[in-house]
Amino acid sequence: MDMKRSYYDDVRLFSSGVTVFWFVALMAFLFFYPFVFTNYYVYMANYIAINIIVVVGLNLLVGYTGQISLGHAGFYAIGAYATITLMTVAHFPFLAALVCAGLIAAVFGFLLGLPALRLEGPYLAIATLGFGLTITTVIGRIEMLGGRQGLHAPDLVIMGHHLTSDRQFYYLAVTITVLLVLLARNITKTKVGRAFIAIRDAHIAAETMGVNLVLYKTMAFALSAFYAGVAGGLYAFVLRFIEPELFNLFLSVFFLTMAVAGGLGSVMGPIAGAIVLSFLDLQLRNILSIPYIGDWLRDLSASYFSLTGVSNIQFVIFGSILIAIMLFEPLGLYGLWIRMKKYWKPWPF
Amino acid sequence: MKNTLLAVLMGALLVLGFAPAGHAEVGVTDTEIHIGQWSPQTGPAAPWGAVARGTDAYFKWINANGGIHGRKLIHHYFDDAYNPAKTIAGVKQLQEQTGMFAWVSGVGTACGLAVKDYLMERQIPWVGPSAGSRHWVTPPQKHLFNVYPLYLGDAQLLTEYAVTEMDKKRIAVVYQEDDYGKQGLEGARHVLEQHGMELAAKVPVSISDTDMRPHTMKLRQAKADAVLVFVTPGHVARLLGTGKAMNYEPQWMSTTTCGDFPLMIAITKGLYEGVITASFGMAQPTGNVGGIEHINNPKNKLMAKYKTEVYDAYAADDERWGYTFTTGIGLAEPLVEAIRRAGRDLTREKLVAELEKMENFQGLMGRITYGPYDPDDPLCRIGQQEIFLQQCTADGGSKILTDWQKTEFIPMSE
Amino acid sequence: MIDFLQMTVSGIAVGSSYALMALGMVLIYKASEVPNFAQGEMALLPVFMAYMLIYTYGQSVFAAFFGALAFAMFLGCFLEFAVVRRAKNPNILGLIIITIGLEMVLLGFVSWKFGADQRVMPFPISSYSSFMFGNVYISTLDLLTLVAALVIMVSLFLFFRFSRLGVAMKATQQNETAARLMGIRTNRVKMITWGISATVGTVAGLLLAPVFMEPYMMWDPLLKGFAAAVIGGMTSLPGAVFGAYIVGIVEHLFGGYVSMEYKAVVAFAVIVIVLCVKPSGLFARHYVKKV
Repeated sequence: MDMKRSYYDDVRLFSSGVTVFWFVALMAFLFFYPFVFTNYYVYMANYIAINIIVVVGLNLLVGYTGQISLGHAGFYAIGAYATITLMTVAHFPFLAALVCAGLIAAVFGFLLGLPALRLEGPYLAIATLGFGLTITTVIGRIEMLGGRQGLHAPDLVIMGHHLTSDRQFYYLAVTITVLLVLLARNITKTKVGRAFIAIRDAHIAAETMGVNLVLYKTMAFALSAFYAGVAGGLYAFVLRFIEPELFNLFLSVFFLTMAVAGGLGSVMGPIAGAIVLSFLDLQLRNILSIPYIGDWLRDLSASYFSLTGVSNIQFVIFGSILIAIMLFEPLGLYGLWIRMKKYWKPWPF
Repeated sequence: MKNTLLAVLMGALLVLGFAPAGHAEVGVTDTEIHIGQWSPQTGPAAPWGAVARGTDAYFKWINANGGIHGRKLIHHYFDDAYNPAKTIAGVKQLQEQTGMFAWVSGVGTACGLAVKDYLMERQIPWVGPSAGSRHWVTPPQKHLFNVYPLYLGDAQLLTEYAVTEMDKKRIAVVYQEDDYGKQGLEGARHVLEQHGMELAAKVPVSISDTDMRPHTMKLRQAKADAVLVFVTPGHVARLLGTGKAMNYEPQWMSTTTCGDFPLMIAITKGLYEGVITASFGMAQPTGNVGGIEHINNPKNKLMAKYKTEVYDAYAADDERWGYTFTTGIGLAEPLVEAIRRAGRDLTREKLVAELEKMENFQGLMGRITYGPYDPDDPLCRIGQQEIFLQQCTADGGSKILTDWQKTEFIPMSE
Repeated sequence: MIDFLQMTVSGIAVGSSYALMALGMVLIYKASEVPNFAQGEMALLPVFMAYMLIYTYGQSVFAAFFGALAFAMFLGCFLEFAVVRRAKNPNILGLIIITIGLEMVLLGFVSWKFGADQRVMPFPISSYSSFMFGNVYISTLDLLTLVAALVIMVSLFLFFRFSRLGVAMKATQQNETAARLMGIRTNRVKMITWGISATVGTVAGLLLAPVFMEPYMMWDPLLKGFAAAVIGGMTSLPGAVFGAYIVGIVEHLFGGYVSMEYKAVVAFAVIVIVLCVKPSGLFARHYVKKV
């Protein structure tokens, strides 16, 4: 094999015609999705799209740079609050507010990245966890941000168009998601991405090779926070009302879970994780209305457990799925996909 | 890929399967009325899930007694784990795939606000959100009818009672850091100002905090002789326990939320005796002031009827007959009554008209009155403004302290 | 001054239950190198088991508590044996997610079985009685927790120092390969470590339950215990206990003198400051990473 002399091939959006085809097919699917599915599934797609943004961003930090964050709900909260405040107080248009909110979150990400320079493993986990808890407490104390009583989102207007339905919001959310995912994919292929990977694999060796640890580690935090901030801004308009308690530790844990269970260190993995786990998160509540299984679960509860607590079966199932994914494949869903592909490749031989 | 295909097929089925049924109103057929509700059945807020189960048993009882004008009430309730994103998902799914005629109750301020616009834009009636928040009537909405009395009122009544009847001089407030707690603080301050007094202390409690020692210390330092607590039952239990261990025993006072005396007596191991709380019903104070009422053996005829006919017959074996369960019944009563009054020819418009005509309707809760829709008058949708005070006895009974008292509505400051 | 003393004493009191959780976390971190997010729920299940033994099977309180501790030992061993050990080429993140999954499953089972309502755990000592030294109060239950934390720490110390199993555990933690070559069944040792950790956590759970018992009761102690363990360096048992008392005392002093609103999160600010000065905690030996 020739020596690699330039990274141009890596940065190219499409490596072959086949990729172009699949990309176009995906875009067409995304475009027609709201026409095919009912509004409820469109709402679900919006929710998933927002989670994809956070998780892809988180993956830049966790999967590529090898850091850990249990505080992403904090950046999410910053993004949500900043977007609404910029729009209502400073009268920014929505997109400008969204980008600024992302940047504000990025600044906080940079600041959190500073102590993180010296920390790793559980130490970093607890420091970021503390950040996530503190930021919502601080927001709850600021009266301008509605304090603990919460904040209403203003009307969503883009270039004179009022976005009121889920369908309209869908196109906005999906466009932003696709752009940000492509951006993330390209970042990982550039010098920055290679620096991230070098830090993850061996940070001392990376530093010896001339990778500026301070710059790239804080940059990873800032980038990841930017993604969470933008997603938070969108989320505020999905809920239309936000309060600090929404951005709790469970949410941070959920984000990390999606990233890891999807498969770290790839672009498709976190997307798969976000889709599967968000879908489960929204749909598991219907488990008792599935014919036969639901009745069986009720009978089981009545005999051995309690009927009032039967909904908690969701936790048992969600937890078991997480454990199963991680036990079978440390690379998560993406790893399963790769294995499946390998298995079928020589088919039919 | 297989999953996508499956999803596409399912989507197509859904689109085809729910063609318009040829009826005038969504959620009403010749034999059925569909009513939706959300509540947390899982997660830290799960104790409030009993509200939905109470409504469910109540509807089953109505159906067993012939339904309303020949129609049965079909109750769809789902678990949102107190997460607004899930509330939206569930509401949209039920509304769009099954079609709800109206929504009843629904626990949580944030969860309710997340779907408020959705329901109001589609002019779907929603009766009795299960949280006493001013958001429901600020500004009032044509299709949103509040039933739950505001915590603001609890605070006013408790403070007034402490100052005038019990002659307490130093009143402190312990409040949870959210809408609930902040209303308590505001109401107490409002009344104290009228008496030219000030709060002896205000102590915030964060919901995740399980250690109440510093909070109790603060109260003791401030020498408060009456303490209003606006927190969850669990926090109240810990506050009282820590206070007792520190030999600090002021007059504790709390809200309707912590008014489930049999439960509170159990979890405080008897310490709750003598605590005064507000109450929005489940007992009839008129003509009974000074009397003692037991929830397990109610004197109130309606309550006794619900206990035997609804709870005993339709609740799950492990369900507790308590205030959360009965609240589920109480919040649904106005809706059921209005559906009954609207007659066989049921439409949403008629339902709203009947609700607006409702005057001094009394079920399990206080008297409920609505008025014609006026966007500038929150009182036309506030429903119930009356509460009374009760005191816990050693065996978990309620000693009625006051008759129904009307409380003042203080608008939200923007 | 009296206030200051009282706050410090209360801080130590609450720190004791954090210390027990922190000890459990450190034990598992040393054995399997994972911050165990299921630590709280590994204690929750036995506590509710004790509740069930008392109310459904009419056992005495002492028998039920003993049963709970035995069950905790079994549960810890079982989780390690059936789940954690089965992970293929585990990395730390994967293990964290597995413990989060375990946490959900255990919590799900407890809430499924017992519902969400608060429970009342009978306890031989009233949680309302207290001792008074001068003007400083400490409740009897707090005192008992304090004693339990110290006794457990001392016995763990003795165990690691003088018992064969304890020495084997230490060897496994220091160098697994070498330990195996020396004839130590490291898998079995790890399994027993999980069991001991769950038992220590259950002691904390049983001491918390008389005050407050519901499915989410272990979350706050877990987080604070985790924080304490990290301050102590995550691998040091005395460090964990010391960290727990720091967290408890700082919380109370901060809540009393500065701001009650931030009391619940001040511990984490302390951690960030401590970690900025000593990145691997106060008591951990600094390790050198080979490139």
